[in-house]
Amino acid sequence: MQTAIAPAPHTPAPGDHDYSVTGIDSRKLGMWGFLASECLFFGALISSHLLYRARAPQGVKVPHDVYDIPYTSVSSFVLLMSSLTMVLALAAIQRGDHHRLRIWLLATAFLGTLFVGGQVYEFTVFTHEGLNLSTSVAASSFFVLTGFHGVHVTVGILWLLSLAGISLRGKLPAENHLWVEIAGLYWHFVDVVWILIFTVVYLVPNKH
Amino acid sequence: MAEEEGGAVATEDPATPELEAAPGHDPLLHRGAEHSHPSPAKYVGIAILLAIITALEVGLYYINMPAPLLVGFLLILAFLKFTMVAAFFMHLKFDSPMLRRVFITGIILAGVVYTVALLTLRVLV
Repeated sequence: MQTAIAPAPHTPAPGDHDYSVTGIDSRKLGMWGFLASECLFFGALISSHLLYRARAPQGVKVPHDVYDIPYTSVSSFVLLMSSLTMVLALAAIQRGDHHRLRIWLLATAFLGTLFVGGQVYEFTVFTHEGLNLSTSVAASSFFVLTGFHGVHVTVGILWLLSLAGISLRGKLPAENHLWVEIAGLYWHFVDVVWILIFTVVYLVPNKH
Repeated sequence: MAEEEGGAVATEDPATPELEAAPGHDPLLHRGAEHSHPSPAKYVGIAILLAIITALEVGLYYINMPAPLLVGFLLILAFLKFTMVAAFFMHLKFDSPMLRRVFITGIILAGVVYTVALLTLRVLV
């Protein structure tokens, strides 16, 4: 009588607990899955804004009436450059250069703070010009979209500052560069979302 | 870490050798996870290019041209910037194709769902 031989169960080797069956680190795969879901989240907010601003009744103030394009362009440039400092932080930890890692992490957090500060100032100016959360549905959708993006940037800043603190205490060895890489993925995603918001929401003319 | 042709810096994950030697692991699977990243000089070059494209976008905004043409140009430039950041800064160009598929699935799903919704509601036409 033949007996079926069951395949030997996989015994995890030391150090491979973070790897999925795809051979990719599960934390990295998880972050990419999260970012893919965020595309749908921001897609919903952007399309809602496009819908409401196109349907805004005549005479009602919409965000397009109060935009300051040169100001927002500078702010977009600041966020774009923070992606460069972020990727330089990753390159630094991969080289084992912890001093430069902290410099670039703090530079990224600083540029992010500058962007969020700029957004707060922009919101204040808009409010003084008579555009606030309850002015119109178009204004509400604008503040919700850009506000949620600002919250994402703020979370990113806190994450980067935590990494800089961990590194300062000597608890971020070069072999843990994946921690910085995952934080970087989140940061770059926040940047690419702003690339879309800046073009679609600010630069594309309103049909209204 | 070793300098490769074209200024690329190969990075090694210390966990990978253990994994390749581990029983039950297919070393071929892990090849997908290996990657070489551009050098810092290349990152700076990409950032300069991104800044130039942003300046071009803002410049186009102030040029008097038909709206459909302006929208077309702006969307192409935004797509270019998006792709450059995702490919080089997020390393999608160098990492496992599986990660690319995961992210592109999210983008396509979002793009199709919301484009159909906006077309249905006559916002885009």
